[in-house]
Amino acid sequence: MGGSRVLIRGKNFLGFEIDIEPDNLDEIKKQIASVIPASAHLLKNTVVTLKLNDSNKRFANDIVQFLKEHGVTINAIVVNNRKDLKTDVPVIETAHINLLADKNEKEVATYRGNLRSGQLIRVNGDLVIVGNVNANAYVYATGNIFVLGALHGIPHAGYGGDLSAIIFAFNLNPPQIRIGDLITRAPEDQLKGVSKSPVAEVAYVQDGNIIISPYDEWLKQN
Amino acid sequence: MAGKVITITSGKGGVGKSTTTANLALGLALAGKRVVAVDLDIGLRNLDMILGLENRIVYDVVNIVEKACKLNQALIKDKRTDNLYLIAAAQTRDKSAVNAQQIIDLTNELKQSFDFIILDSPAGIESGFKNAMLPADEVIIVTTPEISAVRDADRVIGILESNEKNEMSLIINRINPVLVKKGDMMSKDDVLQVLSIPLLGIVPEDSNIVSYTNIGEPSILHKDSKSGKAYKNIVQRLLGHDVPLMDIMEEKKGILKSIIDFFKE
Repeated sequence: MGGSRVLIRGKNFLGFEIDIEPDNLDEIKKQIASVIPASAHLLKNTVVTLKLNDSNKRFANDIVQFLKEHGVTINAIVVNNRKDLKTDVPVIETAHINLLADKNEKEVATYRGNLRSGQLIRVNGDLVIVGNVNANAYVYATGNIFVLGALHGIPHAGYGGDLSAIIFAFNLNPPQIRIGDLITRAPEDQLKGVSKSPVAEVAYVQDGNIIISPYDEWLKQN
Repeated sequence: MAGKVITITSGKGGVGKSTTTANLALGLALAGKRVVAVDLDIGLRNLDMILGLENRIVYDVVNIVEKACKLNQALIKDKRTDNLYLIAAAQTRDKSAVNAQQIIDLTNELKQSFDFIILDSPAGIESGFKNAMLPADEVIIVTTPEISAVRDADRVIGILESNEKNEMSLIINRINPVLVKKGDMMSKDDVLQVLSIPLLGIVPEDSNIVSYTNIGEPSILHKDSKSGKAYKNIVQRLLGHDVPLMDIMEEKKGILKSIIDFFKE
């Protein structure tokens, strides 16, 4: 399977990367046509890069044009080596990307106070909130999210695809939990419920599903 | 005299901003303070009706900022007390007829001759709300114990915080003790847990409010009104009288026994 797919990846807050692995133009087009519709809305108004390898970079202009017909504009092409690549789109060599990634070290950000409806935090790395995250507030982190308070807003941990990220809260009661590219909804009957004696809980990913378990039980498993 | 500007706002509409404005303005005036209430809900004015002054409007707030009249000409004197004046909203215009700087200039002028300038904010978080919020020395947020109203209040508090309007307090309006007891309505503590700002007072649901509005007499004028009693307590707190939270419960005794019983839990 590996080595012959078209993948769309979130790149932290930088946007998305479409990674093309097959070396056959028809196969590439077929795969693009099947993956793009589901993510087209995400790919609008953001930076989208196209990652090509040595076996398919000769199709660069065809692929860019094909994506354009599907409503996706490519901002740059990422390749190992720009040799033989003829295109009008800006080209980035992977060596530069790695350089950027090295500088882009993850950190732990702390926010004190309540996050209120309509407020939003984005963090590259782990996020600690000392306070409550109220309903309709959004918190995004490329790493883990720890809420030392009640979490009623929407958390997205592992933003960009890190499925090992966890979400911790003393009172974990959001309408949705997002980790990596997974999303789960709260059961309908729990949506408005005010739990009187909440326990600290952790949300994490296991076998492709988001699991919520009390913190002490989660500790035992690790 | 350097008056204080208090803005009454809520986010959501229909939670009782204008009713609260009318009662607090009248209550402060009856307590001997010089008060002016300014209706900033331009295009959808109500405050004049609730105060029973709609037949006296000649000039309004838009006329003042456009310098079509003198400030004194637009100050409508209340029929019950000499201490209360109203500046009505224009009905034929909309929120874009004034800007924040004009309202700030107006309140600065009013501060010279009044103790309290009470601004009745429109619902929403758009320009009308910003015009009402920016001049404020103190903001009172009115909410009802419903999730939709509380969430809108939360949004408004966030905007106020980011504008460094940190003198905020909360009035929870239309609490229905029966529903709270049944668990169908958020309690005072549920609301405070979400909003986490100081509580200025709670006002019980009062079915008479509709008829008080119809006759233009705020409930604070009615001795037997349970909401009027609650507004009187809030007025005392605004005047700096340290009415401890226990007093709310004691004062309600006999009138609202069910509420007390609930809040004593």
